[in-house]
Amino acid sequence: MASVVLSEAEKLYIVHGVQEDLRVDGRGCEDYRCAEVETDVVSNTSGSARVKLGETDILVGIKAEMGTPKLEKPDEGYLEFFVDCSSNSPELEGRGGEELGTDIANTLYRVFSCENSVDLKSLCINPKEHCWVLYVDVLLLECGGNIFDAISIAVKAALFNTRIPKVRVLEDEEGTKEIELSDDPYDCIRVNVDEVPCIVTLSKIGYRHVVDATLQEEACSLASLLISVTSKGAITSMKKVGKGSLDPESIFEMMETGQRVGKSLHIALQKILDEEENLGTSRPKVGFLG
Amino acid sequence: MPLDHRRLRGPEESQPPALWAATAAEDEEDEEGAGAAPRDPCALRPLFARAGLLSQAQGSAYVELGSGTKVLCAAWGPREAAEPGPGRLLCEFRRAPFAGRGARGRPGAAAEREAEREAAAALREALEPAVRLGRYPRARLAVSALLLQDGGSALAAAVSAAALALADAGVEMYDLAVGCALCRPPAPAASWMLQPAEPEERRAAARLTLALLPALNQVSAVLGGGRGGPPEDWAQALRLGLDGCHRQYPVLRQSLLRAAQRRDAAAAA
Repeated sequence: MASVVLSEAEKLYIVHGVQEDLRVDGRGCEDYRCAEVETDVVSNTSGSARVKLGETDILVGIKAEMGTPKLEKPDEGYLEFFVDCSSNSPELEGRGGEELGTDIANTLYRVFSCENSVDLKSLCINPKEHCWVLYVDVLLLECGGNIFDAISIAVKAALFNTRIPKVRVLEDEEGTKEIELSDDPYDCIRVNVDEVPCIVTLSKIGYRHVVDATLQEEACSLASLLISVTSKGAITSMKKVGKGSLDPESIFEMMETGQRVGKSLHIALQKILDEEENLGTSRPKVGFLG
Repeated sequence: MPLDHRRLRGPEESQPPALWAATAAEDEEDEEGAGAAPRDPCALRPLFARAGLLSQAQGSAYVELGSGTKVLCAAWGPREAAEPGPGRLLCEFRRAPFAGRGARGRPGAAAEREAEREAAAALREALEPAVRLGRYPRARLAVSALLLQDGGSALAAAVSAAALALADAGVEMYDLAVGCALCRPPAPAASWMLQPAEPEERRAAARLTLALLPALNQVSAVLGGGRGGPPEDWAQALRLGLDGCHRQYPVLRQSLLRAAQRRDAAAAA
């Protein structure tokens, strides 16, 4: 992760502030930074989204392609994640960026490993032969702290935006199967994102924990807990990161906070996505110029 | 494990025939599972731990769980590293090619190396809070875990074995890290079970592995995923896991003491 060098006095300042529920930029311990979410920024993809959470900038593109289903699950499609962080800071080029990328991809696989987060059966075309594979590509444009949260928000927004063309499989007399794409370009299936979880990172600073830590706050925290929460408040995965250890009581408190914060995050995100959807084609596209 | 070039490799994509006969076999298995008496969820499987068994490594440990998981771990004490800064802990996790229950995967397969790397990262997460890295500036400590047989709860056993191996190597630690795994079967109102066996883990709806430093009562690693529930469910699972770790701690301490006594006796003789 891109790191920032802090003096002892700055660390003390941040830690003491957090004890009083006052962070450096004036937020409370459970407040997120101002986030900008925009979908459909890249036209060559089936779905895309860009999220700017404070200094952190994430771009996610999803391409839906036909593939063969996995052997153990012949009537389901699947998701493949790939994360690229090389455009970041110089220390993340090459090996460092690759390790961080695989770490984030593994976390995303685990978060989405719960069977009902995405309706995989709707991605199946022909059991055992054809299915839709959603290739989710995440680009870390800028790392300003709390990348996991931003990435999960971007993935959810991109999945909401994904449009998969409807196909029909026609069978010949000889048994050869032909795939027919419907003529109407707007005839497509959408992915249901009601159960897609979002990751909430809670960093332990001193005796309290904060949500959405900036780079400076991450440098002061010894341990963080990554929790993925669905919109209904169910926790689907947990992981502790960092060099320090956590008290069991802190973990229970963090889970409660994570569930609360996660639910309100989902409500806010869904509201924005629905508003954007309702604007339709008349929406002013900001893209990378804003 | 180096690749064996003399063997005929076979096609790239090879599917085990058991997969095509899956439906018949699974029905039998389910009947057996339902017929057998349900396991007591809080029962810990028997644990065998022995430290100081490899002569070439500075510290070593072997942990075996009642369900059949066998992990062998070796640790090397501080070696000088070129990079300045505090000490670093390098962990490696390898699976033997015959470790899994199903078909033998290709030893160099990318998916397997990914899984090994992920397990090594999890191992490092669990051990870093336990080791006093501040006492070894500019040094590298290496730990290597080898999974000989996977009978479920492999990562938890590896954490315990790695902590034992580091302690056996004489590395300064705050406490031993004890690992424990839990899983929850897919039935709707099922409760969490400690230390699942391999078939239970495969069919589980949710899994959790945690590592605890028992004397300090600090959790050093939590890794879990699956069909979730409200935080109370996960909190209950955590409490069960912490209790399991506390119960395993005396066994690991005994094995360390015995290894130290054996070393003294060998030095005196």
